[in-house]
Amino acid sequence: MDFRLTQDQLELQNAVRDYLTAEHDAALLRRLDAGDSRDPAIWDGLVDMGLTGILVPEDCGGLGLGLVEAALVAIELGRANVSEPLADTALIAAPLTSAEQQSEIATGKLKVALAHNVNPWIADLDQAGLVLGGTHTESATPLESVDPLRRLFASDETSGSDDLLDRAALITAAQLLGISEHILSLATDYANQRVQFGQPIGKFQAIKHHLASVAVKIEFARPVLLRAAYALENNHGRAALHISHAKVATTDAAMLAGETAIQVHGAMGYTYEVDLHFWMKRAWALAGAWGDRAFHIRRIEAGVFTGALETNHSNIFSKE
Amino acid sequence: MELNYTPEQQAFRAEVRAWMAANVPSQSLKTLEGREGFDQHVLWERKLASGNWGMVTWPEAYGGRGLDLIQWLIFEEEYWAAGAPNRANQNGIFLLGPTIIEYGTDEQKARFLTPMAHGEIMWAQAWSEPDAGSDMAAIRSRAVRDGDHYVINGQKTWSSRAAFADWCFGLFRTDGESSRHHGLTFILLPLDTPGVTVRPIRQLHGETGFAEIFFDDVRVPVENRLADEGEGWKVAMATAGFERGLMLRSPARFQATAKRLVQLYDQHSQTASPQARDAVLQAWMDAEAYALNTYSVAAQVMAGRKIGAEASLNKIFWSEMDRAQHRAAMSLLGAAAELRTLDDGEANAWLEGYIFSLSGPIYAGSNEIQRNIVAERLLGLPR
Ligand SMILES: Cc1cc2nc3c(=O)[nH]c(=O)nc-3n(C[C@H](O)[C@H](O)[C@H](O)COP(=O)(O)OP(=O)(O)OC[C@H]3O[C@@H](n4cnc5c(N)ncnc54)[C@H](O)[C@@H]3O)c2cc1C
Repeated sequence: MDFRLTQDQLELQNAVRDYLTAEHDAALLRRLDAGDSRDPAIWDGLVDMGLTGILVPEDCGGLGLGLVEAALVAIELGRANVSEPLADTALIAAPLTSAEQQSEIATGKLKVALAHNVNPWIADLDQAGLVLGGTHTESATPLESVDPLRRLFASDETSGSDDLLDRAALITAAQLLGISEHILSLATDYANQRVQFGQPIGKFQAIKHHLASVAVKIEFARPVLLRAAYALENNHGRAALHISHAKVATTDAAMLAGETAIQVHGAMGYTYEVDLHFWMKRAWALAGAWGDRAFHIRRIEAGVFTGALETNHSNIFSKE
Repeated sequence: MELNYTPEQQAFRAEVRAWMAANVPSQSLKTLEGREGFDQHVLWERKLASGNWGMVTWPEAYGGRGLDLIQWLIFEEEYWAAGAPNRANQNGIFLLGPTIIEYGTDEQKARFLTPMAHGEIMWAQAWSEPDAGSDMAAIRSRAVRDGDHYVINGQKTWSSRAAFADWCFGLFRTDGESSRHHGLTFILLPLDTPGVTVRPIRQLHGETGFAEIFFDDVRVPVENRLADEGEGWKVAMATAGFERGLMLRSPARFQATAKRLVQLYDQHSQTASPQARDAVLQAWMDAEAYALNTYSVAAQVMAGRKIGAEASLNKIFWSEMDRAQHRAAMSLLGAAAELRTLDDGEANAWLEGYIFSLSGPIYAGSNEIQRNIVAERLLGLPR
């Protein structure tokens, strides 16, 4: 029993974070927002980092890593607000595709879009060479998201599986955690720098306490996410329940972080000029994606209240 | 990450489970906050000690089993799952004990730890004063050196179970010229020392669960001092770390409550409001989250990391979770919530628990103080 990330896992996460901090900053988000929100150069950079191959077996040209690693990468995608379809393609879809398709995913040639009846949209359908759970229609109607960097298309008939849903909810939860952490750091930076009444506003206890409450939410969402990733990777019987828990916990953290951060920023937070809005809007979008809070609460209820699951503590890590 | 129990850990769990099944009293004890119940709980401490379960993480030489934190978590899981009583000596085993292990001399370890693990001496914590609550550095009670003794004068308050305990560990000002956190010293003394007067205070639930302690020229030998003179603040902060961090409130306690809450919901599902249903689920999720986080922190501590201000995140979380769990139960009970005894003739443990949970955000450093610590030391906001 050891809940620590391995050295390799930590190094992977740090490498991705360092790369994205350098190459995928807020100035880039603004440039994307001014254009059509996708840039092949960003995709190529992610491919060069090997990130498209995270879950692809080594004999298909990937890194052959597992869902804990995928979740760590997804946390960083959230933190950097990456909009390229890397999470959908490489962290969610890859294991559900053929060996040949996986090779193409690893090389960055194939992008995958995901369709499921929990979502009224399909993201990045226009660039996708493959649609899991749906079909590719040239004429799909674009939908406008509040998140300026999301590219959504209306979806009708979908056949996405439970497995797809679980994987997608897990990776979405991981992104929400990274988003929460970044929002907290944006708000903390602002509180340190904005002066009112002759002092940084971060010296006011009301501000401190708001931000501390966000830190608590994040702290107790992180291990829930990691357990969910581990459970799915190891085919534990309760993996779906754990994923739902992770989705709820990270959604709550991200929503609280966003509302708190806007309050801490004052009117600045209510503008399009401050970077905060990109992360906040991504949080709103992902909160409803791949099963909203109510959807996941229902899945948890089904486990907890029916007695189907013995809610005994010795089995928070149960394989059954 | 390896989220599996080893065969040894599973065998240990089975051993604890079997012992608890054979020994946990079948009838629940009276409340720990009253004399009669306290005495019942002390007998239970001795029973535990007879099975060598007093404090499993301590070295064998001091009445422990030399086990690691994962084994401790397993022990706690089985302990609370079996419905075992609260620990009468929690101030001793969870707060003072680890502090002595860190700062005590070998002689002090032998003298204090073993009787503590054996349930022979019950401890009270004597830190707070009428004018030193959250602002503990405002402590005024004096300990003046006189040869090989300290002479103590002053007053402590809110000392949990001091009316029933045998000894107390206090924080006193040894340097009359000092102020704030300088010049304080950590001293241990028997509560029956001449000059000590303990005056019980009735708590919210009506029992005398804490007390004032008056010191009137109380002579205490210098060897009862823990660490050096003037080092008291540093030592007390270590104790406070144990209090807020891993030890005092192990996750299994809240998981056991969450499980009972789910059962309570099942009994009341016809009348429960949707809000109560949500609250029960949240309580269950939070208890899991707290347990997972504890496993994560335990693994890091075992690898040599010290926990500092992070303990404040913990303290905020468990105390607010505890209150929410019991509030949910109160709303499920509806009109019966106010009754001190329920249908089955048992004391209304949900009501007692709710009342006690209201103190969680206050003791061990109020949650406002914890949020200050999180903001200043973890997030880096200005003091
Ligand atoms: C059940 C129970 C058991 C206890 N057991 C013990 C014990 O065994 N031994 C012992 O020594 N003490 C014990 N205490 C005392 C406990 O440590 C104190 O109650 C606690 O430190 C708060 O001090 P206070 O009660 O004087 O409240 P105050 O310090 O007067 O605080 C009152 C309110 O003001 C807020 N406040 C104070 N300062 C600040 C600040 N800087 N910023 C923001 N808000 C602030 C507090 O958060 C609180 O909400 C116990 C208390 C309780 C309730």
